[in-house]
Amino acid sequence: MDTVLNIPIIARGHVIMPGEDAVQFKGRGGADFRQADPHKHIHDLVLGDTAKLRDLHDTPMAEIIDLLAELGNRLVLEDNPLLQESFELALKAGGLAEPILRGVYDALPQMFERGALAALADKTIGLAYLDGWVPGSGDYDCISIRAVGTRQLHITAGNVPVVAALTIARAGLTKSDLLIKSPSNDPLTANAIARTLIDLAPDHPVTKHIAIAYWKGGDEFMDSQIVRTSRIDKITAWGGMSSVRHIQKFLTPGIDLTALNPKYSMSMIGRETFESAAAMDEAAIGLATIAGFYNQTACANTRIVYVECDAEDEDEIEQVVKLGRKMVAAYGDLPPLLSTPFPHPNRELEAEMEAVALEDDFYHVEGDTLIGGFIVSKFNDRVEFFDKLNNRVVNFVPVDDLNDVIKWCDDTTQTVGIYPEERRAGLLDAFALAGVQRLVPLAGGDPMTVYAGMHHMPPGSPHDGIEPMRRSVRWVIDMRPARHAVPLSVAAE
Amino acid sequence: MAISLLPDNPAAWTYRRFEELYAIPREEREKLQLEAVRINFARLRDRIPALRKLADRQGVEHIDKLEDVLPVCFDHRVLKNYPFQIIENRDFRKLTGWLDKLTAHDLTRVDLDGLSTIEQWLARLETYGMLVTYSSGTTGKLSFVPRSYDELGPWKYHFYSVNRASSGVDAWTEKLPTFFPGYRGGYQTMLKMMSLFNVEMAGGDANYYTLYDTHIPADLMALSGRLQAAEDKGEIMDLGLDPALLEQREQMMQQGREREQRMEEWFGKLIREFKGQRVKIGGTFADLYRVARAGLDKGMTCEFAPGSILQGGGGMKGYKDAPDDWEEQVKDFFGVDRLGNQYGFSECIGNAPLCEHGFFHFLPYTVPLLMDGEGKAMSREGVQKGRLVLVDPIPTSYWGGFTSGDEVTMHWDDDCACGWKGPRAAKTIRRFAESEGGDDKITCAGSQQAYNEFMEFVQGEA
Repeated sequence: MDTVLNIPIIARGHVIMPGEDAVQFKGRGGADFRQADPHKHIHDLVLGDTAKLRDLHDTPMAEIIDLLAELGNRLVLEDNPLLQESFELALKAGGLAEPILRGVYDALPQMFERGALAALADKTIGLAYLDGWVPGSGDYDCISIRAVGTRQLHITAGNVPVVAALTIARAGLTKSDLLIKSPSNDPLTANAIARTLIDLAPDHPVTKHIAIAYWKGGDEFMDSQIVRTSRIDKITAWGGMSSVRHIQKFLTPGIDLTALNPKYSMSMIGRETFESAAAMDEAAIGLATIAGFYNQTACANTRIVYVECDAEDEDEIEQVVKLGRKMVAAYGDLPPLLSTPFPHPNRELEAEMEAVALEDDFYHVEGDTLIGGFIVSKFNDRVEFFDKLNNRVVNFVPVDDLNDVIKWCDDTTQTVGIYPEERRAGLLDAFALAGVQRLVPLAGGDPMTVYAGMHHMPPGSPHDGIEPMRRSVRWVIDMRPARHAVPLSVAAE
Repeated sequence: MAISLLPDNPAAWTYRRFEELYAIPREEREKLQLEAVRINFARLRDRIPALRKLADRQGVEHIDKLEDVLPVCFDHRVLKNYPFQIIENRDFRKLTGWLDKLTAHDLTRVDLDGLSTIEQWLARLETYGMLVTYSSGTTGKLSFVPRSYDELGPWKYHFYSVNRASSGVDAWTEKLPTFFPGYRGGYQTMLKMMSLFNVEMAGGDANYYTLYDTHIPADLMALSGRLQAAEDKGEIMDLGLDPALLEQREQMMQQGREREQRMEEWFGKLIREFKGQRVKIGGTFADLYRVARAGLDKGMTCEFAPGSILQGGGGMKGYKDAPDDWEEQVKDFFGVDRLGNQYGFSECIGNAPLCEHGFFHFLPYTVPLLMDGEGKAMSREGVQKGRLVLVDPIPTSYWGGFTSGDEVTMHWDDDCACGWKGPRAAKTIRRFAESEGGDDKITCAGSQQAYNEFMEFVQGEA
């Protein structure tokens, strides 16, 4: 635990190891790390001269995709010592259990699969727009549009290493200059991927446009130096306001912020579920999967389950308790790749559970924070500590009608699981209008089927209700003299 | 020779001088405390339904050593573990039923007819003999402390005593005109204490000066988050609140906007009027510093008579980036030698006064314990840092064992340079969740933010 890791700054193809001037930072999970002083490397991190994007701008997409696909081939955990180091550290940080984390790392090569990359760029932006000027048609054939790369700062989240990989792939595919501010709980994954790329193609324009460093959130000197319109065009902040809070004061018009807010997710169980034991079992497996996968660390995990029943009716509440018990039992059947019991209890959440457990007129509490558990509200509202629900503990909330759930939905509501399917059509549009971003099935009857049903989307699908890649390029218009007669009216655009 | 105290009546300990209480040798004190906690737990275990439930679940029948009490201390959340919905619906039957489980009094006999506000409910309980107050923590949900008139005596004696300890002035005999930059009453714990004790300490209503003459209604505090959310959605009328209450909210928010200026004017007037007289100044340190800073900027200082006192609280919450020497500035401006301060929770009667060497010393009728991150008892020797648990053996109408959310450094040895004995807490106290990395946690923005915004307007009530 006492070892101090040496972490390099990645500066456009160069690896700057911590030397005499290194500074030490506190990591999570007991692993501190040393890095060269970022204050002395500002110019290695930012790109002040936009003309220097030209090399990347002139590189054809096919070549970029080839490079990224080759990078993906080298991101095999068993063969890549850099990735192994970041895996070890992520394991120590303790966010995810070993089998789950291994599964996440094993999926890295697939993220760089050639077909998926091409589809991602083509679907969200259009390969032709990235490679050249695309003319309009008919009367507007004198007007061309191109998606031009930008200078991007990404403040990445550390809870899932996928974010680092995704960020590097997306930046390359948009021919953009990338600066990653690493999170303290995962300072290595982005480095490992970038260093693998440096080994593969040290002089490639994509490699030359990746910089990665850690600096403390709230380091005003760093933020004031970096977040300037002369140096950054776009900021993507994972984790929402908590990660942008510090740089907020430097945000000015001209810097476009994409805030990937923290999200909450939930499930809805229709009254029909209680009509048969088979339906209850299927719903329980669906709930166990959607609440349990990645050990409930993801924003898509269900934390609250709204159940259509009468809160005042003891028999109906008893049925909900039964569903909860079945769900907890189903946690035991989740493959370790998806979910495992927890090595340590979550004291804060247990204190909350114990406090409400004393009040059995209003709550029914079962389980713990090692295996998982549930709290049934015996009234039509969620528990106040719903934002602390974790460790596979969910809150069942009775509602008279699933449409009542809309009042708890807004743009922080990401994924909603539905059971049974026949209820979907009656809910879909109203929930879409309320802010919900994804409605997924709970049906399937076995965890892997349920998991696949809620995860397999085509490349380039919207992310949290937006299309971040489409937003991360600059859409430039080239208007030439018209070759056809145009109507000579003046109208507001 | 130490004074003689009876372990089966710790309420009566509060009648003694704090000097005598602090002077009790450690071994004797700890024996008394264990005995008092043992007796009080035995007395209340099966009389308070929520305690019985917890004790049954934990399998605790009796207290043999002090650490045995830890598993049966209420988490501070227990005093607010009712569903928020019953506040929203003002379902007083359910709310009373909930509170009934926390007290030895039988609340099923309280007449609930005709109640429409929480403020009225609290008043009705008071008529019945309860002294229920509320406090609002960081979540905005009200905790109700199920105290009753049974505790009024010791509460009052302790309060006079602790004020003498932290100011040197005996309010039983010396009445000082008192300035308090806040509201004048209400059931919020601090405000209730003001009207129960401070007014009398000041020598009556005419000697007690507050910034506002109005109460803070519990309903506005309870619903602040909900009101803001409803206002954003344009649904405020759907809440079915008395229009007079909404009107009062508007007024309070208006007062909040003008607060700083009003406070300066108000203080300015008192400073002129009471020039050359001994006075007592109260308020949050953030407010007091704000006033001091504004005065010092104008080259002013107060000219009260020597022996004037200042009692603050609330730390510098609500004031950003205070300079390191803010305490000196407050002293310089008001012309006082020390800043009186106390630490405690509204759930426990015996808050601890700050000594001249910067430590909060607990009196024998408040029994502190520390818990580690795993919920295990920590050693009561030397210096230890952990989550503070306080056991108050005085109350007979509710159970006084509480686990706080505060991380505290306790000095267990009786070696403070100030001469007071007894376990003492260092001045730096923080929320336990923060030290667990909880400040990184991203919480739901909506209601919390609305609550904070509202509180910014009306802060200064505690």
